[in-house]
Amino acid sequence: MIRDKSHNEQIERWADYVKNNSDWKIKLKPFLDAQLIIASRVYKKLAETKEGRKKIIELRKIHR
Amino acid sequence: MKREIKDKTILDEFAEDFCKIVDKHCKYIICSGFVAISHGRSRGTEDIDMIIEKVSESEFIKLHNDLIKNGFECMQSQDGKKVYAYYLINKDSVRYTRKGEFLPEMEIKLAKDELDLEQINSRQKIPFTGLNVYFSSIEGNIAFKEELLGAEKDLEDAKHLRIIYSDKINEDKIKLIKQKIRRLRLKKND
Repeated sequence: MIRDKSHNEQIERWADYVKNNSDWKIKLKPFLDAQLIIASRVYKKLAETKEGRKKIIELRKIHR
Repeated sequence: MKREIKDKTILDEFAEDFCKIVDKHCKYIICSGFVAISHGRSRGTEDIDMIIEKVSESEFIKLHNDLIKNGFECMQSQDGKKVYAYYLINKDSVRYTRKGEFLPEMEIKLAKDELDLEQINSRQKIPFTGLNVYFSSIEGNIAFKEELLGAEKDLEDAKHLRIIYSDKINEDKIKLIKQKIRRLRLKKND
């Protein structure tokens, strides 16, 4: 089941934008890249700490 | 719409670099979340799902070694023989990243039934994405997300793809794939 009405409308609004505007990728790229850059930074910092690698394995299980 | 190199995201570059190597060794498809994301779905992911045809152990070891040679590493083992024998052949997935990085990951599985094989045989490059990789069909992705996966994000991905391809989607094809999912994966008869 899809979340509430406004969320559903947002999905429709953005999908329509993607369908009809060629600059969607430029708008989306910073958001997609930022997610990976931030997560990667956190994992690298965590890996340097005691038990860090163990924690990363646990975190990766949650994200799957 | 043609996309320029500068538009490419970290995920796009990772997917293209990885697929270029896999393509030399076997047929593959990219499926699930990254299909929706490469069509503009505004959500993040840390992994990309790939299904490869059922290659032999020796064929897989060649592929694995080529990936290692090109700067990727496997989270499960650096030994291709172990990756194949302990994971892939038992229908478990394995994960590759660029060497020294935690993400993004490529999650690889061997094709396990006729449904996977059909998806691989009907694979396509999708101009809308601007990416030089093979995807499973849009109809296949919608069918899996709506019929099998069913989590909130999956239904939202399917909805997004339905809007993008509202004038092109083959509903009969989706119905047929859903029937096969029920029979082969959910063990239900219609």
